[in-house]
Amino acid sequence: MIYYAVIVAILVTMALALARALIGPTVYDRVLAVNMLGTKTVLLLAVAAFFIGRPDFLDLALTYALINFIGVLAVLEFFRVRAQRSLAEEKEGE
Amino acid sequence: MTVFTVFFIIFLLTLMVITALAIVQTKNLFAAAMLSGIFSLMSAMIFFLLDAADVALTEAAVGAGISTVLFLGALALTAENERAGTAGRAAALAVVTVITAVLVYATFDMPRLGDPNAPAQLHVAPWYLEKTPEYIDVPNVVTAVLASFRGYDTLGETFVVFTAGIGVLFLLGKAPVGQPKVSPAMTFAGKTGLRHYQIPRVVGRLLIPFILLFALYVQFHGDYSPGGGFQAGVIVAASVVLYALLEGEEQARQALPAWLLRLMAATGPLIYGFTGVACMLLGGNFLDYSVLAHDPVHGQHYGILVIEAGVGVTVTGVLISIFHSFAARGAK
Repeated sequence: MIYYAVIVAILVTMALALARALIGPTVYDRVLAVNMLGTKTVLLLAVAAFFIGRPDFLDLALTYALINFIGVLAVLEFFRVRAQRSLAEEKEGE
Repeated sequence: MTVFTVFFIIFLLTLMVITALAIVQTKNLFAAAMLSGIFSLMSAMIFFLLDAADVALTEAAVGAGISTVLFLGALALTAENERAGTAGRAAALAVVTVITAVLVYATFDMPRLGDPNAPAQLHVAPWYLEKTPEYIDVPNVVTAVLASFRGYDTLGETFVVFTAGIGVLFLLGKAPVGQPKVSPAMTFAGKTGLRHYQIPRVVGRLLIPFILLFALYVQFHGDYSPGGGFQAGVIVAASVVLYALLEGEEQARQALPAWLLRLMAATGPLIYGFTGVACMLLGGNFLDYSVLAHDPVHGQHYGILVIEAGVGVTVTGVLISIFHSFAARGAK
């Protein structure tokens, strides 16, 4: 019974995070929403693994947690590059 | 499968449709890349609920992990927004509508979800399930089917990965002639990456050995739990990408030079193919691992371990090469 409650709660949170990712309006909202969705997916996988009676599938949640971190760093790097470039363009404009 | 699980899946599918529509609708390419990551997270969740943990693991590692990073690497080379195309919109819509209608019509012939009389349940699947303990004796039947019963298919897939890698390197491997060089600080990962940001750097560097250890676990524990060469190769590649992000792409290239990566990409299919040849030399059929040891079941275990290692090496080499070729390409 507790599984049902937890799964529904996580799904609702995911829907809300997705709404934020869709509406934006700034990119930071989207980044945060994607990061949050990743975290919720890890939780959901962990709960679902027990719910469907395959706790050994927790490996998947572990993969997610690791991969999600790399994704967030890639986003940070992407913004660093973009900031550098707009700085360089400003200098050229002067 | 309980009613609750079905609702669970329908809910996730609904979110996926919404995400897909948003990807089509948005003009901001960064938003599209992020949303496609979300899309992939949800489809992995659905695979998981359908008890296809190996597929879910692949989708998680490839779809949500590496491809988001590659998208961002490509985006660092392009403009922020999609250019509005107006030509041939009506024709495109018509083609899509017709194809959708045909596909929906085709689904009427498909067996219902979980139908016991579906060809998938009646053809060779029961034989695999029944004979795996006897012939191969690994708990994860997916690995037995993938690496042994259907070893030829997987050999083909390994060559496909290798060929795709060659194709991408042909397109992106060389810097375009006549374009001005940009400073490495302005290319993705570039010379320094996130080296000047202490917190990600410290945390990330701590994580790399654990990610590699986990990749080895996924690689060599694939007989017992979800995983295998494809997934492990992606996870190894992800850890190298993490290193490149933290220390700069040049540093990562020094640690794993391009020739080594190309060699890895080519070695995998060779390991796989030569395992098959070794089986022939020992008197068996091509890729019939039973002859590799005195006990046929042990022979199967050795064969699966070796070919999975080959797959892992190829996937790692190809994916890191692709990442480098995106990252090394200077932005305009």
